[in-house]
Amino acid sequence: MAIRVTLDRMLLERRMSLTELCDRVGITLANLSILKTGKAKAIRFSTLNALCRELNCQPGDILSWEASADDALEEQEMAAE
Amino acid sequence: MKALGKGSIASFMEVALKIAAIVLWILLACVALAALAYAVLHGLIAAGVVSPDILSGGRGHVRGEGFEASFDTDSSLAWQVVTPALLSALVAIAGALVIVRRLLKLFESFRSGEPFRKENANHLRVIWITMTIVELSRYGILALTGLLVAAFGKPSGAEMTFKINVDLMPWASILVLIVLAEVFREGARLREEQELTI
Repeated sequence: MAIRVTLDRMLLERRMSLTELCDRVGITLANLSILKTGKAKAIRFSTLNALCRELNCQPGDILSWEASADDALEEQEMAAE
Repeated sequence: MKALGKGSIASFMEVALKIAAIVLWILLACVALAALAYAVLHGLIAAGVVSPDILSGGRGHVRGEGFEASFDTDSSLAWQVVTPALLSALVAIAGALVIVRRLLKLFESFRSGEPFRKENANHLRVIWITMTIVELSRYGILALTGLLVAAFGKPSGAEMTFKINVDLMPWASILVLIVLAEVFREGARLREEQELTI
């Protein structure tokens, strides 16, 4: 997936541990780790809202997009259709 | 009564399938033993130890998919009749055993309350492939019987009739299973996606 989660950078900048963020946001450490490592398939608006509120940032500060080989392939498939 | 989980219809079905699997193993062993005994008997006849008259006598009727054979006095155990019958029984029982074992695995996961697993889609795929093989083998065995009778002659005293009889129910079931397998695959994908939604 071309969406990158930059949660670790935000935590570093705010000198906040993942465990502390878990407690503040109300998400389990396991789920937040899935999000941080980029294994998540989707993120709920409620989760994004809680993260932005606790980290005092915009969604774009946590998520970024980079073109990947998958996207090029998907684009080709759509063009073929 | 609930359909999934412990103490449900699924757990009752699981027990029933376990019993069915045991019965099928016993049947398979019986047919295999009968085939072995028949082969040994023919070996002894060929060696001159046993008289061929042992295969004579009796009256019977063999009926398969699109195939019927009636025999009286001297052809009851003629190999043209026995070989396809044994083969047909072996294929049917072995196929049923594969299907029952896969169904057992399916119902195990239904009892645990997690129906949408990738393995379940694979189990359903194996079931429809097995059903297809069993159905096609019926026609194959029918053709084999015809070939045997054409090549070696009809057993004396036997009345054999062949008719192509296509039963649409198994084929309809196969089509339903193909669709169900894909439904389960899609369900497993959605479940995985939901698990990874934070």
